Amino acid sequence: MHTYLEAIREGIWEEMERDPAVFCIGEDIGVYGGAFKVTEGFIHHFGSDRVIDTPIAEAAIVSAAFGASLTGMRPVAEFQFMDFISCAHNQIVNMVAKSNYRWNAPAPLVLRGPSGGGVSGGPFHSQNPETTYAHTPGLKVICPATAHDAKGLIKSAIRDNNPCLFFEHKFLYRRIKEELPAGDYTVEIGKARTHREGRDVSVITYAAMVYVAQEAAEILAKEGIELEIVDLRTIAPLDREEIANTAKKTNRVIILHEDHKTGGIAGEIAAIINELAFDDLDAPIVRIAALDTPVPFSPPLEKFFLPKVEDVVREARRLRSY
Amino acid sequence: MKAKLNKAREKSASPAERSHSGTHSANGAGTKFKSGEPIRFNSHGIPDYRLEVPDFHTVEEWVDGEFRYKVEGDLSVEPPPLRDSKYLNKEQTIDIYRYMLLNRKMEQTLENLFKQQKVVGGVYLGLGQEGCSCASAYGLREGDWIGPMIRNQGALLVRGFKPRDVMMQYMAKSGAPTGGRDAGSHFGDKHKHHIAAPISMLGDLIPVLAGVALGARMQGKNIACLTWVGDGGQSTGPTYEGFNFAAVQKLGVILIVENNLWAYSTPVDRQVACRDLADRAIGYGVPGFIVDGTDPNQVYDVTYEAAQRAYAGEGATLIEAKMMRMRGHAMHDAAAYVPKDYFEYWKKRDPIVRMEKYLLEKRWLSEKENTALIAAVQKQIDEDRDFADASPYPEGSTAGERVFCDNAVEIGFGYGKPKFKKSDKQRAAKSTGAVHLS
Ligand SMILES: Cc1ncc(C[n+]2csc(CCOP(=O)(O)OP(=O)(O)O)c2C)c(N)n1
Ligand SMILES: [Mg+2]
Repeated sequence: MHTYLEAIREGIWEEMERDPAVFCIGEDIGVYGGAFKVTEGFIHHFGSDRVIDTPIAEAAIVSAAFGASLTGMRPVAEFQFMDFISCAHNQIVNMVAKSNYRWNAPAPLVLRGPSGGGVSGGPFHSQNPETTYAHTPGLKVICPATAHDAKGLIKSAIRDNNPCLFFEHKFLYRRIKEELPAGDYTVEIGKARTHREGRDVSVITYAAMVYVAQEAAEILAKEGIELEIVDLRTIAPLDREEIANTAKKTNRVIILHEDHKTGGIAGEIAAIINELAFDDLDAPIVRIAALDTPVPFSPPLEKFFLPKVEDVVREARRLRSY
Repeated sequence: MKAKLNKAREKSASPAERSHSGTHSANGAGTKFKSGEPIRFNSHGIPDYRLEVPDFHTVEEWVDGEFRYKVEGDLSVEPPPLRDSKYLNKEQTIDIYRYMLLNRKMEQTLENLFKQQKVVGGVYLGLGQEGCSCASAYGLREGDWIGPMIRNQGALLVRGFKPRDVMMQYMAKSGAPTGGRDAGSHFGDKHKHHIAAPISMLGDLIPVLAGVALGARMQGKNIACLTWVGDGGQSTGPTYEGFNFAAVQKLGVILIVENNLWAYSTPVDRQVACRDLADRAIGYGVPGFIVDGTDPNQVYDVTYEAAQRAYAGEGATLIEAKMMRMRGHAMHDAAAYVPKDYFEYWKKRDPIVRMEKYLLEKRWLSEKENTALIAAVQKQIDEDRDFADASPYPEGSTAGERVFCDNAVEIGFGYGKPKFKKSDKQRAAKSTGAVHLS
């Protein structure tokens, strides 16, 4: 059995064994093994030339990873928390994302780290900044929900010739466990997955919210309402085809995410459904997302902030009888 | 009314001259120049290769209710001759001179093209800075990388791009290195010229060049990675993050701070509180140097020595090149805010004029040879201009292409497959440890 975190670790480890171009770079990833221990033990095995502890300098980490990628290396850079990605925003959206387009210089690098709330991390250790980067052409944005996908996708990200942002969900790190296939496998970037088949209402979601949808589905099943849960797995590129397919199948769609509602990827997904499956809809598209506030710290506040199982149950019932 | 912009810059009883530790033993030059004269150090122990150390600064004044800048200090001094290079021979010196001419004439042509409205957007000139740009790039060898900024169009030529490439960039033509996707000096080349394309955001190339050096080192090669930043650009966060990273990792980054006294309309006196930007080397823990940016020989020597340290794995070097931006920030800017005295002082220090005089006086170049050289450069520029002018614009519909790199593309190593040491103990990925938050 592998936890979500172990799956990521194993994925990076195996890629480092497989390909000498791969190395890790970040803050406290060496002897300490990373704030969440994703790279624990790496330095003993691979040495400090390949598991590089850096100064606290996110802009330098991203840029140095990019520079190394120009020589053909495949860096895997860790943000201690994905909240700190904003410190490297310029390097990501201007230096890295545009390089293949501007001067034919691909940037095969992975920027990874823990994102998401539900752990009372407060405003700076809980955010979901992924959609900002989905909006930037040239980046791939990956948000796995399962251990299986986390391992398969981190491997694909490392092998990809483009900059991949890999948003791990810290709530899932040690809470989910599953049996993984033996040996090397990858999961294709840009392909959604049907987490649960259902005929009545579709919930299009990703990362930790997959489990909120699943809990809701179990409650609703008892009432005879069958939710279909589509786990996007990557939000850039979006699997437009799968989004349209599920909308055409159930004719009722909820889009659920942990990011803020305004400007979250749900708006984009609603627009895709509008473009590809408008005539198939029997009800308006519903968005369930976090509040448009900073992520609050205190448990009751954060609970109120985050999308809840009850929200999904309530909206699914409403759509079913629309 | 007038006030010093910065009190800290006032000349004070300076501490006893002492050398910034690690600097002068590491500078590869000993404590004397070839000519036998001792090296001068500034009050923080930073070696200063200049043959003159002018003392002036920009102060503010109000005249008839108008705010303006004026110079305080003696600007009447005549320039010294160039310093003899410790390394350059006659052919190399002439080659640098030729690149400087090519640089200047290319930019003069760009100015004309701009006036003929053949340029899309603005034109940035490195007038007065050609010596620094060309001679520093000349100090590298094949396989080294550069990360140029807007005043380093000469460096692009030294590294093998042609004037027509730069011209087509400005004219947004399909034949330009970016095919019209980015402007001016914003281009690079991974494979042949080893140039990292700049982005507009200042300071950002510094950590990138550190990463290039890191990647090369992983592949078994210590290379020199040269990049430049302005007196303004060095104020940014990525400058500190990037250069500190290079320093702590002992990467062969050579950072030339081109102190041309102005950042757009802001005098350096409003940018930093220190007198010499090279002093920052002390804080980074790397060797720092001051050179006259209008003396190509000084610039070459200090860059060349920094490159040797990079190859030896001795790490990064910070060089401050002092000079003057002789035009506005870009073509649209008349630089009315710059006191006229500055232009007069620095015009006498025009790097091309100084170099020409040096070559003629040394009899490395006769008047006749010089005339022929200038004519040949002009001919090349004219041909390149015609070529660039004739190049078509890109097809609009290609704008959607190549956002991503196809995964079928094989991205090779720049310097060969890395050979890492590995622990001999067989291990698998696993952990149990405590976490920060869970
Ligand atoms: C981070 C950032 N802020 C603002 C600008 C706009 N800008 C472009 S050049 C410039 C002045 C640069 O001065 P300096 O670094 O001294 O270089 P110089 O033009 O003198 O060579 C400014 C403010 C920019 N390019 N990047
Ligand atoms: Mg400047």
